[in-house]
Amino acid sequence: MTAAVATLVVGVVVGYMAQRSRMCFVGGIRDFMLIRDTRLLMGLVAFGLVAWVGFPIAGLLVGERALPQFPQDAMSTGITVLGAVGVGYTSVLANGCPLRQHVLAAQGVKSSVAYLVGFFAGAIAFHAWTEPVLLRLLP
Amino acid sequence: MAVSGSERVQAVSSRWGATRVTAVQMGIVAGILAVAGGAFFDVRPPEAYGICMACHGRDLVNWVINDLADTRLTIAPASQVFPVLTTIGVLLGALLGATTSGEFRLWTPESAVKNFAYGVLVMNFALLAGGCSIRLLLRASSGEWLGLLAFCGMAGGVVLGTFWLRWQATR
Repeated sequence: MTAAVATLVVGVVVGYMAQRSRMCFVGGIRDFMLIRDTRLLMGLVAFGLVAWVGFPIAGLLVGERALPQFPQDAMSTGITVLGAVGVGYTSVLANGCPLRQHVLAAQGVKSSVAYLVGFFAGAIAFHAWTEPVLLRLLP
Repeated sequence: MAVSGSERVQAVSSRWGATRVTAVQMGIVAGILAVAGGAFFDVRPPEAYGICMACHGRDLVNWVINDLADTRLTIAPASQVFPVLTTIGVLLGALLGATTSGEFRLWTPESAVKNFAYGVLVMNFALLAGGCSIRLLLRASSGEWLGLLAFCGMAGGVVLGTFWLRWQATR
C-alpha cells in the first residue's frame, strides 16, 4: 500500500513537471541530432547523474550497499539490448517516450490517447502471446 | 489586429498556473523521487523500480485483470498486494499542469491507428528490455551493467529512428 500511495504522489509531481517542462527522455537525443538543441538532453543527463549520486546515498541511509550487477548470460543480454533498441526506435517514430505520451494524452492530444490504449493492450499481448512464443522459439 | 509572437507568449504565460519548469529541474526532481521511492517507500523489488511508465502500467493493467478475471498475468513483486499507480499520477499531474496553464486542448495531430500500433510495439519492446527509456537510465545509474548496455541500445535506437525520419523528410 505504501508503494501505491508513494508512486501516486511521485506520479503527480513528475507528471506536472513534465507537462510544464515538455520533458521527453527520447526527445533529448532526437533534438540534439536534428537541431543541436540541448535543452531536453540536459534534463536526461540531470536525471541520470542525480540517480547515480542518489543510489549510494540512499543505500547509506537505509543501511545496505548495492553491489554492481553483471549480465547473467548472452541470451538475456541480447534480448534486453534488442528490446531497448526497439524502444528507442519506435519511440522516435511515435514522437515521444512513454512519459511524454502520457503527458500529451492528459493535455488532450487524442492520438496519444490512442497510443496509451495500444500501450496497455500491448502489456496484455506481451504476457499472453509474445512471451510464450519467445519462450518456445528460444533455446 | 495582428498579435505579435511575444505578445501571444505574454498572454499565455501571464495565466495563474503557467509556471516555468526547465527540463533540468524536472530531471533533478524526478531523479531524487525515483531513488527515494525505491529506497524508502517499498517500490521494490526489482531494484531501480522507482519510475517506469511501461512496467508500472503493465503492473496496473495486469493487477486489475487478475483481480477481475482471476487470471495469473505477470506482476512485479512491488505490486503484488496493491499496484503501483505512477500511470494514474502522471496523467493527473499533467492534467493539472495543462488545465491551470490553459494548455488543455482536444485535437488529433496524427493518425490514431498508427499511434495505437506504436503503443503496442513500444510496450512489447519495453517489457523485453525490462523498462521504458526512464527505467533503463535508472538501471544504468544504479550500477547495473545490463541496464547501461540497454540504455546505450535505446540511445542507438533513437539515433537510428532519427536518421530514418530525416531520410524520409529529405527524400
